[in-house]
Amino acid sequence: MLLVLGVVLILAVLLSASVGAVRLPMRGIAATVLGRVGGLDDMQRTILFAVRLPRVLASAVVGAALAVSGLLFQGLFRNPMADPYIIGASGGAGLGACLAIVFFSEVTFLGFSATALFAFAGAVLTMALVYTLARSRGRTGGITLLLAGFAVGTMLSNSTYLFEVFDPNGTQGARIVAAWLHGVIGIPRPQQLAITVGLLSAGMLLAYPLMRRLNTLALGDEYADQLGIRVEATRVGIILVGSLLTALAVSLGGLISFAGLIVPHVARLLLGPDHVRLLPVVALAGAIFLVVTDTLARTLFAPTEIPVGILMVFIGGPFFLWLLRKSKREYAL
Amino acid sequence: MTAFPGVALLDVRGASFGYGERRVLEDVSLTVKQGSCVALIGPNGVGKTTLLRLISGALRPLHGQVLLRGEAVADFDRRQRARAVALVPQQLDVPFEFTVEQIVEQGRSPYLGRLRGLRREDREAVEWAMELADVTGLRDRVFNELSGGEKQRVKIALGLAQEPELLLLDEPTQNLDIGRQVELLDLLHCLRGRGVTILASIHDLHLVAGNFDAVHLLAPGHRLRSGAAEDVLTPELLAEAFGCAPGRHPLLMPAGRNA
Repeated sequence: MLLVLGVVLILAVLLSASVGAVRLPMRGIAATVLGRVGGLDDMQRTILFAVRLPRVLASAVVGAALAVSGLLFQGLFRNPMADPYIIGASGGAGLGACLAIVFFSEVTFLGFSATALFAFAGAVLTMALVYTLARSRGRTGGITLLLAGFAVGTMLSNSTYLFEVFDPNGTQGARIVAAWLHGVIGIPRPQQLAITVGLLSAGMLLAYPLMRRLNTLALGDEYADQLGIRVEATRVGIILVGSLLTALAVSLGGLISFAGLIVPHVARLLLGPDHVRLLPVVALAGAIFLVVTDTLARTLFAPTEIPVGILMVFIGGPFFLWLLRKSKREYAL
Repeated sequence: MTAFPGVALLDVRGASFGYGERRVLEDVSLTVKQGSCVALIGPNGVGKTTLLRLISGALRPLHGQVLLRGEAVADFDRRQRARAVALVPQQLDVPFEFTVEQIVEQGRSPYLGRLRGLRREDREAVEWAMELADVTGLRDRVFNELSGGEKQRVKIALGLAQEPELLLLDEPTQNLDIGRQVELLDLLHCLRGRGVTILASIHDLHLVAGNFDAVHLLAPGHRLRSGAAEDVLTPELLAEAFGCAPGRHPLLMPAGRNA
């Protein structure tokens, strides 16, 4: 299963790197990447390494990060409707990114733009706020957390629209902000991409030992506590890793909804709810899903590129509604 | 206080508990002997579930102590507690489509390391628990799609997979039809035969007589009454505990006890 998904991901990346305004032969891409002869000419190489591959890899990272954080949040809230968008992490990250675009557009750190750093801080701070708001008498109710996250997230993500209206830097900033809000995967610097991939791997490694406990948490907080699980510590761990992954995704691609909802859900329908098994599958499937969607977003109406976030809404919206109708019968809340 | 301190597995001494201002339990003392099957009865809202949660260590008593083999359950660490006492709850809602086997495996949580999956002895314990609770045939079924009686047996298997010294059951016969109730009592008998010590809160007094080694009657504003079923299930005590005039219910007819 993992092997198949891995192969599909590699094929998707190759295919995606080959299509665009200038078509690059897939065989040539493979040869170039593997350092063999018979690769691409210099111009093609420049396009491949400076434009195509960074963007395709970024979309893979965004997809994996969103899908895994969706899995974490769905497990944590014991609710198949949860995703980083719904519980506010994306909204916080988006507001952070917009602040950076408008006020600190020149600052960079370790290859990261201020945008990425502020997105990260925004996601983590928002989740901390949501968690604090939802907590009472030493306990945190899942539904309360979900509702608090929804309220905070909606406020934050809507407040970012104000930057579009009152933008001190004029139209340029407003356009970048708009792109962020609609979800466009940019071309990251190599250093940023490398660090992001590193953080994604770190997040996955941190998430892995939490997966079994997430299975136990499905029985409810009190039952999990009774089974010897440290419920609050697990919850905090999941929220931290989930926010980290959300922030990574937002720092590369802005606000992209539904990806974190659909992928874990489909994986669960196909493979059952065991989180230990789902984690790597969801990461790979999420990467594939976003590589494909982003390729469609930039080629479907070429030369006009539509934001991948918008395309995702057209795919995700109907899916969500289908889910809603289906869940009415299956989950009594 | 117990007459045989040496053989009491569970010893609750003067335990009190309340939620905020509201006192639920006041100075409750009871013992459960090793290997016995004991019923806890009492009117709605008297604190049966709260007492079970105190015993399981989910709640800490405000006063008094809950001792298991002479040690305070409240001082156990989380995992140690989960290996000693299992509480089978009234209601278990699972949001995802876990199979019966996956649910029962959760009972091994207190035995697993941080990264390790189930080892051979864990698998064996899961099989043992499923077989004892007679759910082996349901192993691949989705828990949410089971009937009430089947769910009850799976919950018991989950508790058994913890290999606890004491199995607490909160209203295990609730919402079951007569046939399933009898099946469940048979299961409790079978577990008792295998050396599992059981304390179950039972709503339906008809099921208590003849099926339990001892009965604890929890009544509002009264001390807990403990003893053999025939000594506790008297029309006078029941009428007093349940606030129901003698003669208004078959069980409260002086000669009409259906044991």
